[in-house]
Amino acid sequence: MPPLVRRLILRSPSPLHRLSKPALFTSHRSHSTQLLSPQQQPPSSSSVSAAEVSHFNALASTWWDPHGPSRLLHLMNPLRHDFIASCLSQDASPPSTPDKHLRYLDVGCGGGIFAESAARLPATSSVTAIDPSPSVYCVALEHAKTDPSIRKTLTYHNTSIEDFPAPTTAADKYDILTLFEVIEHVKHPAPFLESCFPFVKPGGWIVLSTIARTWTSWLTTKVVAEDLVGVVPRGTHEWSQYINEEELREWFAKQREWGDARAVGVVYMPGIGWREVNGGERWGNYFFGVRKKEGL
Amino acid sequence: MKASSLTIGRPVLKHFACQSCARLLRIHRRYATTASETPEIFDVVCVGGGPAGLSLLTALRASRATSSLKIALIESQDLFQTRTWKLPPDQYSNRVSSLTPSSIAFLEDIGAWRHIQSSRVQPYHEMQVWDGVSGSRISFDWPGTGSEPPQFPQQKTIAYMTENLNLTSALLARLEELGGLTIHDNTRVENINLGQETETLNLSSWPVVELADGRRLAARLLVGADGANSPVRAFAGIESRGWDYERHGLVATVQLEGEGWGGADEKVAYQRFLPTGPVALLPLPGNFSTLVWSTLPSHASLLKSLSTADFIAMVNAAFRLSPVDLAYMHTQSQGQAEELSWREQHTKFDVQRIPQRIVGAQEGTVASFPLRMRHADTYIGERIALVGDAAHTVHPLAGQGLNQGQGDIQSLAKTIEYAITHGQDIGAQLSLEPYASDRYATNNLLMGVVDKLHKLYGVQSGPVVALRSWGLQAVDAMGGLKGFLMRQAAGGG
Repeated sequence: MPPLVRRLILRSPSPLHRLSKPALFTSHRSHSTQLLSPQQQPPSSSSVSAAEVSHFNALASTWWDPHGPSRLLHLMNPLRHDFIASCLSQDASPPSTPDKHLRYLDVGCGGGIFAESAARLPATSSVTAIDPSPSVYCVALEHAKTDPSIRKTLTYHNTSIEDFPAPTTAADKYDILTLFEVIEHVKHPAPFLESCFPFVKPGGWIVLSTIARTWTSWLTTKVVAEDLVGVVPRGTHEWSQYINEEELREWFAKQREWGDARAVGVVYMPGIGWREVNGGERWGNYFFGVRKKEGL
Repeated sequence: MKASSLTIGRPVLKHFACQSCARLLRIHRRYATTASETPEIFDVVCVGGGPAGLSLLTALRASRATSSLKIALIESQDLFQTRTWKLPPDQYSNRVSSLTPSSIAFLEDIGAWRHIQSSRVQPYHEMQVWDGVSGSRISFDWPGTGSEPPQFPQQKTIAYMTENLNLTSALLARLEELGGLTIHDNTRVENINLGQETETLNLSSWPVVELADGRRLAARLLVGADGANSPVRAFAGIESRGWDYERHGLVATVQLEGEGWGGADEKVAYQRFLPTGPVALLPLPGNFSTLVWSTLPSHASLLKSLSTADFIAMVNAAFRLSPVDLAYMHTQSQGQAEELSWREQHTKFDVQRIPQRIVGAQEGTVASFPLRMRHADTYIGERIALVGDAAHTVHPLAGQGLNQGQGDIQSLAKTIEYAITHGQDIGAQLSLEPYASDRYATNNLLMGVVDKLHKLYGVQSGPVVALRSWGLQAVDAMGGLKGFLMRQAAGGG
């Protein structure tokens, strides 16, 4: 590892560790999901910051513009499905039937780029998508009206995961809970992730994508993307909140219910598009999947 | 296959997201009263049932990933006529295309080629191309193993001459076999507008095609396979730029004195560059060939006015006499047959390297059409894709028009399949981008080369003639470059 990288990483402690210290999950891990049920969540530790919500409100109108600020997310979206497919294919007993059986919960769905696409897949039985930003929620609702094929499958709610009631029966839980480009915008990622746990079926997956906190990601997402090229609106990212793949992996290794962690790096190459890159999870954008154990 | 058909009730509008029972009831009531105004909703509406449109729909129906798409075809001609098209074995249509092995491979993939009337398809194995002014010559064949195209290691065929109607008829047979397609034929597109927005459904980005009979079809993706004057392209506001060559392409089905110098198994395509444009004779089964002669509009009308004997003489002259002699014969209103027999005695040519003598022209097949070069600014828009001649019109001298269309279809079908398997809206411009970026540069390059060839051979004298003659000889001498050019012709380059 180049010294600069090490120094940058050392100087910026993991948001997971930093923010979870006073919180609840370290010593009472096995009970943390109960402790963090939405009703008990103190407002000050909500995953959603007012600044983030208002930033995404401002982006709402251009969310679906193919040449607008969300273009890179649109282009990345098909790779999300490839990654989910690779997670599902790990399954010991893969549901080989192509009929509708998968239930998705998309947390921080934004304008619905992923949620709409998941709703169109033949194996999907339902997609529930939530976002705390009111304008983004309206954009998502409005845009979904342009596709009559997803109306039965896709439901939006304007809420955060902490305020969203967890399913009470196993059948109402989700096969795939997705957090795409979300945790880097969350102030307290550890309790936020824990509040997602009760929504996932045993054997189901949390799949997320985010950016590693390295000098390359600082250079590409803050300096190049926001300041120089402007493909991403200024203020979209707070680099110190980025989480590295090994931090996620270590954190999930301590969670009794979770296993089968896997990750793949993706990189955007101008003129070519997004490509999976082995080892890319250590220095830039990456997908991360982790599976809830069965029979616990 | 005849006329409109099949499946599908009107889209049932269900509630969505912010719903209440009261609103739901209201919506249902409103739709009940305005049902006749609601367009029927399709995933793909293809305007144009020519080779490009039918190939696309066949590809989409044949692939498992795209087979659940709801598809409609709109065609102004009677497709029943096309489906049941039949000609006796001694007659050939004058619209014949040279299909490359890669086009054939695609048609085999989608299950259409086995429906072709194969006795009417003629493969050819060699091309003789020469300069009418200087006589320089290049012959294309696959000599031994060295220059065989790597992706077709066993084949020695450059291309397959196929009547367009044979191809469209086979595609329709395959579509009939696959089923699950709504066809509106014998009808025309009255107009295309964007859809409406209601409380629960927003079709304001969806093209709605209105037919002459009042039917309305809303398209998630509207495909313009509707030819050079594409109404779909006009609706999308996509400009098509280019120029007219001030040339007409004259076509005819002709009969030769024999099966060709190589017999039935070694057929040769001939093309001679004349100052007025190239004249090409492409083999059909037996003694038949199809003629494609690019020439001045005035020459084309003269040729069409001649008696069969004089017309035959002009075609024979075009492959034999000097451009000066030929120019003189174009000034005669009749009597070309005698003129040729006299002038031929004073012209030297290698009989084995030019086509056998033409002895007949099939009645009613002499026709001509203006030659144009057109290229659309882009192939895609929001919920729009253009394919084939709607996207590009090319000079026929390289015989690439239909193959370019097949290349478009292959690419668009692949793009749609990727979009479907990744949950994309197949009409969204973002989903269609791979198609446009894949095909635009490829077609532009080929169109540029063909256009330059036309201009290069339009020159009658001076250094250009010397240079191009040297060029042909040099290409002929260099196996590697020739192999490259042949792979282009065979569609594998």
